Amino acid sequence: MAGDEMRIVTFRDIFQSEAQEMGRYSQEYQDLSAVVRLDQLDMKRLGLKDGQRVAVEGDSGTVVVTARTSDESPHPGVALMPNSPWSNRLVPEETDESRIPEFKNLKGRIVATEEKVKPISELLEELKG
Amino acid sequence: MAVCTGCSLLCEDIEVALDGGKMGKTRNLCRKGLGHFKSIYLDRARPAVDGKEAGIDEAIDKAAGILKNAKKPLIFGWSNSTLDAQKAGLELARELGAVVDDTSSICQGWIVEKVLRKEIPTCTLDDVRNYADVSIFWGSDPSSSHPRHLSRFSYYPRGEKRQRGYEEDRTAITIDVRKSPTADISDEYYRVLPGGDAGLVEAMISVLDGKIPRVEDKKKLISLVTNMKKSRFGVIFPGLGMVYSLKGRKELLDALVEKLNQSSRYSVIPMVGHYNMRGFNQTLLDQTGFINRVSFQDGVESGPEHSVMEAAKTCDAALVIGSDPVSSLPAAVARRLAGMPVVAVDPHRNLTTDVARVVIPSAASGLEAGGSALRMDGVEIKFDGVVESERMTDLEILARIKEGL
Amino acid sequence: MVNAMEIYQLTPKTNCKKCGLPTCMAFAVALLGREKNIEDCTPLVDEPKYEAKLKKLQEVMEPIMGASETGLIVHPEKCYGCGNCVVACPVNVANDPRGSAIGLGPKSDKAILVVEDGVVKCLNMEECRRFGPNKIMCNACTATCPSKAIEFV
Ligand code: SF4
Ligand code: SF4
Ligand code: SF4
Ligand code: SF4
Repeated sequence: MAGDEMRIVTFRDIFQSEAQEMGRYSQEYQDLSAVVRLDQLDMKRLGLKDGQRVAVEGDSGTVVVTARTSDESPHPGVALMPNSPWSNRLVPEETDESRIPEFKNLKGRIVATEEKVKPISELLEELKG
Repeated sequence: MAVCTGCSLLCEDIEVALDGGKMGKTRNLCRKGLGHFKSIYLDRARPAVDGKEAGIDEAIDKAAGILKNAKKPLIFGWSNSTLDAQKAGLELARELGAVVDDTSSICQGWIVEKVLRKEIPTCTLDDVRNYADVSIFWGSDPSSSHPRHLSRFSYYPRGEKRQRGYEEDRTAITIDVRKSPTADISDEYYRVLPGGDAGLVEAMISVLDGKIPRVEDKKKLISLVTNMKKSRFGVIFPGLGMVYSLKGRKELLDALVEKLNQSSRYSVIPMVGHYNMRGFNQTLLDQTGFINRVSFQDGVESGPEHSVMEAAKTCDAALVIGSDPVSSLPAAVARRLAGMPVVAVDPHRNLTTDVARVVIPSAASGLEAGGSALRMDGVEIKFDGVVESERMTDLEILARIKEGL
Repeated sequence: MVNAMEIYQLTPKTNCKKCGLPTCMAFAVALLGREKNIEDCTPLVDEPKYEAKLKKLQEVMEPIMGASETGLIVHPEKCYGCGNCVVACPVNVANDPRGSAIGLGPKSDKAILVVEDGVVKCLNMEECRRFGPNKIMCNACTATCPSKAIEFV
């Protein structure tokens, strides 16, 4: 459904960067990374509550993260995700001739889910295949 | 005084108390920098071969073996190493006939290239502090990524021609898809939609040409451009937001800067992330004429086919220095890297060291080892280590691998 | 930050005047301005039926009680350590021309604000322009903060 499609933009957050410096495997890094921040209006429209788990479904993959109400509104239709191995599951391998990945202009649908956020060790196992 | 290698501002005024050789209280480090300093006591990499702990000599031997036997090895990372280590790495790359690419390839590369090739004007951050009256954060959020940028250079400090403080002397403008922490404290925030930067640049150029722009809120844009034009010394700080949004229309940046320079003086300083990415791009340019994406397979050549995105498909081994591409690249590309023999040289454990066939732990530069690096504006900053360490530096490790070939 | 109304809700609301003020609302305002302490409301402290209210009030008042006499409160957990407040503070600028005035870490002992262990810290609060007989409504430190880590009561 095109109406539900969101633009997904990755960004950097200082608390997440701090946690990353201190170690990719910490729970804190996961809690600050596996997140999508949505505009209030979108939270309402999608019937989501702050802290609820959602699946972000893109063309290249799906990832389960925690939904948060953004305090950087308004940005309806735009979902913000901290740049991390979780957001990178949504970034396609194909690029234009610049060969720069589309980290900041992804498309995806956001739906509530019961599934858990995968810890980084599990993401890694999946990458190892 | 110590230097912080936590980002490309390389802050030089860091005070660290040492307590029996260990780091104690710090002053002037921002939150991100503090995390960087503390990290030397956390989650360090250990020498390993095939997932098992190994001696450092064995690890280096194995690394040399993997690289020697590869038909087309990739050397990736570079931006968290000192200038000397980068030079040693390039010698190794030549000897191996390797493909060489760094993190600039997936981020600031194209803007850095324009600056290094002098296609667009630039200046130093000291010039910004002394003279700039308009700072434009375009798709960048220094408060989060380079926390001391505004206080050290671009908005709050007094400078030679900027004696009166930010309220009177300077204007900060943020252009972004979100109202970021930097937007919150800027004088002006202009919201752009994802992918909308090219349209915005075109609209700005029409305003500068005295035409009516084709945007929804004409008034807001005209007032923005009027403020930009009033400047006597303006600086644009492009962040990843602009990098990704304009990558298909790169010439628009030149056009805008040229237009602005017809009536005032404008410079561009790309918001490079890692502490010595600009240093690597400059070093490689000096040596080969290219800033990244170089192959030494057959002489020297450069092109998109040697970008890490492509090299991950075509190379058969990788040496990764001071970088975690398995975390930072799109998952499908990370999977390709995970599938080839990887040698990881890093102070810390990360996803790349965890998929690596060989892990060689290194001293953290700036913290455990000295050297020098180019700040985001190209100024060379020298530094010493803060604490003692037994770990080898990148420079030593790369030299040892080369010997081992 | 709590307001006077929220504090009022946590008082006994009996207007008994034991605190020396005519009403519980007046007490709430005084508490917020740090002219009174929670203990001045003796019924609240002594009578067991107010135990829950007392606990809650102590909780909400904690950050305010930690405020300096100028009313400045810092929330270290929100702070980026960016130094904007350090560099913008007019007292820092005047006392420290070769340090905070030009964007560096303070080089003078008289700086009010410094960044220590990654977060802001107040020293020499008596130097603050909001303090003393000639006080003025300076807000350079709060206006320049990207994270709302610094505020006034
Ligand atoms: S701004 Fe960058 S270089 Fe300066 S202290 Fe913070 S992380 Fe370190
Ligand atoms: S002592 Fe307590 S209950 Fe009595 S008036 Fe003052 S605030 Fe109200
Ligand atoms: S109120 Fe003014 S003088 Fe006081 S600490 Fe803040 S900036 Fe400095
Ligand atoms: S209180 Fe605010 S302005 Fe001051 S250092 Fe912390 S984040 Fe920066």
